[in-house]
Amino acid sequence: MLELSRVLGAEHVITEPEQLRVYECDGLTGHRAIPELVALPASTEEVQAVVRACHRDRIPFVARGAGTGLSGGATPLAGGVVISLARMNRILEIDLGSQRIVVEPGVANLEVTRAVANDGYFYAPDPSSQQVCTIGGNVAENSGGAHCLKNGFTVHHVTGVTLVLPDGEVVELGGKSLDPEGPDLLGLIVGSEGTLGIVTSITLRLVRSPEVVQTLLAGFETTDAAGAAVSAIVAAGVLPAALEMMDRLTIEAAELAVAPGYPAGAGAVLLVELDGVSDQVEEDAAEVERICAECGAFEIRVATNDLARALLWKGRKSAFAAMGRVATDYYVQDGVVPRTRLPAVLRRIEELSATHGLRVGNVFHAGDGNLHPLVLYDAERGETERARDLAEAILDACLDAGGSLTGEHGVGMDKACSMPRMFSERDLETFGRVRRAFDRDGLCNPGKVIPTPRLCGEVPGPYRVHPLERMGVAERL
Amino acid sequence: MLAAAHTEGRRLAIGEDLTTDGLDRILEHEAGDLTCTVEAGVRLSTLQHALADHGQRLSLDPPGDPTVGALLARNLSGPLRHRFGAPRDLVLGVTLVLADGTIASAGGKVVKNVAGYDLARLVCGSQGRLALIARVSLRLHPLPKARQTLAIETDDAGTVVRSLLGSQLQPSALDVLHPGGILVLFEGSPRAVAAQVAAAQGLVGGVEVDFGAWDVSRRRQAAALERIRFDPGLLEKTLHELRNAVVRPAAGVAYSENDMPSNRLLQGEIEKLLVERIRSELDPNGVLAA
Repeated sequence: MLELSRVLGAEHVITEPEQLRVYECDGLTGHRAIPELVALPASTEEVQAVVRACHRDRIPFVARGAGTGLSGGATPLAGGVVISLARMNRILEIDLGSQRIVVEPGVANLEVTRAVANDGYFYAPDPSSQQVCTIGGNVAENSGGAHCLKNGFTVHHVTGVTLVLPDGEVVELGGKSLDPEGPDLLGLIVGSEGTLGIVTSITLRLVRSPEVVQTLLAGFETTDAAGAAVSAIVAAGVLPAALEMMDRLTIEAAELAVAPGYPAGAGAVLLVELDGVSDQVEEDAAEVERICAECGAFEIRVATNDLARALLWKGRKSAFAAMGRVATDYYVQDGVVPRTRLPAVLRRIEELSATHGLRVGNVFHAGDGNLHPLVLYDAERGETERARDLAEAILDACLDAGGSLTGEHGVGMDKACSMPRMFSERDLETFGRVRRAFDRDGLCNPGKVIPTPRLCGEVPGPYRVHPLERMGVAERL
Repeated sequence: MLAAAHTEGRRLAIGEDLTTDGLDRILEHEAGDLTCTVEAGVRLSTLQHALADHGQRLSLDPPGDPTVGALLARNLSGPLRHRFGAPRDLVLGVTLVLADGTIASAGGKVVKNVAGYDLARLVCGSQGRLALIARVSLRLHPLPKARQTLAIETDDAGTVVRSLLGSQLQPSALDVLHPGGILVLFEGSPRAVAAQVAAAQGLVGGVEVDFGAWDVSRRRQAAALERIRFDPGLLEKTLHELRNAVVRPAAGVAYSENDMPSNRLLQGEIEKLLVERIRSELDPNGVLAA
């Protein structure tokens, strides 16, 4: 403690119980623990000093960005150290000639695009909390967003990192050029949920802004019809920038909350965004319109300017927050299914919803099969247990369809105990071997990703509104 | 075989002592999902042929006809790398056989998935030293309805490339055949391809040539002695030092006929140590060690 104060400055080491409470959880508010100490380093060397001290004294530590993660990846360990990267928020270099930008981990996602927008570039991954969530957190979680269908996830856009290993050594991986020699350590690090080290600088690809962006919104009577349109769009060889769906319940909630004026009586709306060179976008848009009409869309709206586009997105972007209008509590899942199984899985969710006697709203990234079912319940009426069962049953339905536990929120604490439903003991044991290669002493964000008996005896708590959501800074998509 | 070598303390080299030739089945091709799962011994040409029947492709076009396992293990790519990336960008999941015989899977077969460690990417570029790749799930793309190649002769490749990369055109491939030439590939609908070609010609000139021009590029890549990396912004300086090479400017990768010690692909000491630690966890008896 004294040692850290000397290195970081006393004001950058937090030990006051009141202040420590700020760090007790991330966006997964059902899990809480008070850390022993929070360190706020300002450089790679300072991160290294903190990690070395933890390693020497065998104290577990966890890195933290903005704390918007939804799977408890940044939940501290009681008695452990939180390393907040909030002070490392500088953009280190903009190299437009290389189409790269070098940033510290505490830079907010949207700040990257802001820094280069005037030059005609943007940073592609756009998680819904992008105003506040940090690049460091994005790297840890391999964050996606609504527009990753065409442009890919964080892992496709990180070309280099400086990584402080769990024993305090520093390693440079990748750089501004691609395809480094040897095993793809960078690909392993991105999405490892802060369990293999702490990144202290990140080199990102910048993407040239497209010539044209066009957004369509189509209203359907059923999710089946909208799902059929999704399959037909993909089968036609069209690759939209975004392809999103909302069902009746989430549309109703959005109307109550922000009144986006979606097609009246719609059982589902599909939001399709196309971008690229103008001739291609024009042709694709005509194709998408034709497909939607064929699949039974009763109303189609097209937006070609920013204002009209924002209006079409308004309902979608507010969907999670809007749920507060129709229910007191909800669980959100993050399961993935093969695109072609969407209609079948949505029907299964409907059945499960009926048998459990709880409503489920569906708002999701239809293009890549990433569902975000919202299980609505009322904790005060004792529905918590049933809601949890229903959420688990939905996850099973996703896995039965050949999908995944999580498409973008991560495993963290939340789903560590569910990992055996997707991976065999040998798979998990192999993950454990890779982890040991980085962190022999098990100090770096322990208890996350890989299930442990101690951890899996515990039961996760219900969803609570995150303080950032309440403030309107972040939303859940 | 691996388990026996592990117990007996023998060494095996994947591709020599142990091949995946028998693992040659395409297990699943879900055209509607644009994904497929194949055994690692499938040849790229065999896979492309099967996918083409459904109007799809794996967007990797390295020289030669490697197996899918080799494609990953050697991290091979060709001109399409410009837009579609390397194997690590298109792999969704793998099943590995570790040196002690343990069969382990990672990733999945859906296009979006963040559950567990990404061993599918880790083995890309691993040269068969970490584990045997037995089965691979891949992301596919639709075959383009039309394509056109533009060839530009220039002794100022740097300026031409900068102008193309700075534009809003979206080529699928962009190779500098140094010295003197540039090839650009546009794919999409016939009308959009024609419009992109016209726009590119307005920007940098050039003539439309046969698609076979890309074979020249791939042949040169195959014949290269050295693969080097450079900051994409330092293209001109790099070209200055190269004699004959195929350069992928957006990736910052060049396949060169001359040796360039200063740009050789060197792993840092700590990175090497890290790879060695992973290797010894996955293969403690050194069965797959070089």
